[in-house]
Amino acid sequence: MQSDTIHLIGVYLKTTAKAWFQYRVDAIMRSLAVFLREATGVVVIYLTLMKFQDLNGWNVYEMLFLCSLLFLTYGILIIFFTGLRDFGNTVRKGEFDRYLLRPRGLLFQIIFVNADWFAAVGHGCLGISLFLVTAGKVGVVWNVGTVLYYLFAVLGGVLIQGAIFLLLAALNFYLLETDSLKELLYYDMKKFAAYPISIYSKVIQICMIYVIPFAFVNYFPAQFFLRKQDGAVYPFACLYLTPVVGGGVYLLAYLFWRYSIRYYKSSGN
Amino acid sequence: MNLKPYIAYARKSFLMRSAYRFDHIMQILSTCLQIFIYWEIYRSLYGSSIEVDGISFGMVTTNFVLSLGFSAGFYVNDFYLPQKIWDGSLVTELLRPISFRGRMLAENIGNGVFSMLFRFLPAFVIGVVLVGICPPESAAALGLFLVSAALGYGVLWTISFAVQMTAFWLVNIWSIVTIKNVCINILSGSMIPIWFMPEWLRNLIDFTPFSSIYFTPVQIYLGQLSGREIAGKCLLQVVWIVCMYGIGSVLWKRGQRKLVIHGG
Repeated sequence: MQSDTIHLIGVYLKTTAKAWFQYRVDAIMRSLAVFLREATGVVVIYLTLMKFQDLNGWNVYEMLFLCSLLFLTYGILIIFFTGLRDFGNTVRKGEFDRYLLRPRGLLFQIIFVNADWFAAVGHGCLGISLFLVTAGKVGVVWNVGTVLYYLFAVLGGVLIQGAIFLLLAALNFYLLETDSLKELLYYDMKKFAAYPISIYSKVIQICMIYVIPFAFVNYFPAQFFLRKQDGAVYPFACLYLTPVVGGGVYLLAYLFWRYSIRYYKSSGN
Repeated sequence: MNLKPYIAYARKSFLMRSAYRFDHIMQILSTCLQIFIYWEIYRSLYGSSIEVDGISFGMVTTNFVLSLGFSAGFYVNDFYLPQKIWDGSLVTELLRPISFRGRMLAENIGNGVFSMLFRFLPAFVIGVVLVGICPPESAAALGLFLVSAALGYGVLWTISFAVQMTAFWLVNIWSIVTIKNVCINILSGSMIPIWFMPEWLRNLIDFTPFSSIYFTPVQIYLGQLSGREIAGKCLLQVVWIVCMYGIGSVLWKRGQRKLVIHGG
């Protein structure tokens, strides 16, 4: 790590934020639109549970607490991983060549040169407001241990999703187009994760735990606090594994990225 | 009026859409997954109860298969006009001896037919096999359902038509379009059946065009409406189409006077 790295990160963050918020009214409108778009699912859950009281034992506040983790982690994730989310475009336009020429690590640049601030604000605000509304109502006792657990769970959740983005980005070196794959492996799986995984059939549960470990982003951390009955069928250790799974899958994705980068062929001219 | 050029536009956009096959397969899969998720959720919510408020689990499933299927099949390009304003090509469009609004509709119909055939139909068939749906109440109900579905598409399209016209005044309408789609997603009953919404919200929805899009056809399909109610609801769909198209057209006429194109 070079001595001016921190300074460089600061400059990058400042410039991207400036660029995204150049047109203030538009930026606020866009952030609001993202917030509302994401709130759609929340409103649907709220309305559904007003009618049915509980879903497999989860009441409305517990369900929204589960969701809050999903939005909060995405809000943080997107500040850093926008470059990986949009990596397909970067490769197709030949812009990746520019990164190769700069005297810094590739992943470092991808992570810090861009940030989707509208998504960060939209998802982040939604996550925080859901957390504030629900945290008091689901009976969580906050002490040093639980606060630390929460922070590590959020970090783990960010890393798990970051690993999926990194894996998909690395696949860009082999495939021309990964947008549809991203839709399936990330966005569709995320839709499943908005509800307790115990309501799904076995195949999907296994998929959510072992294949694309979304269950560790929000279900198990929420279970740690709530200890709902439906969680009894899963290994007890799962409640504590989020940071480990996060670190593990991120490392795997990183190794795959390092391996794949050799196969990069420029599309530029 | 000579329809030939419009038919050519419709045909052309149909053919253009056939180019991206892989994308369609993924889209179909995505729709099926969504239907499946809601099916799983409601299966869990229903548990052992056969009916909730007189609505059976089968009816809920039917609502999701049809309305999520339709939302995949009802093609709307919210940025058709805005795109042409941004890149300035609207100027040449206006010089052509055909109606721009006619062309807009024609291209949309071409795309719509494609989406119905290659998005709605596969998703519908998979949905029926995977989760099953109630059969239509009667042959007549099926016929009226198809008419009402076509009208529902009309409502969806004319809403988009009216919203797009604001692009004459606003540089960026992405936010407005997104908020419009949020309203449609929540209030049309495609994500939570309107039956299960609280009373006050249902009363509110009665004053909006949103339940005319998917929910009216679904109700007709399930035989929930009497003959008179069907006539009333379909008339309401027509009224909304006329209203939205009227608003859009007024904006279109005013917008043209205000039209500013950057560069050239």
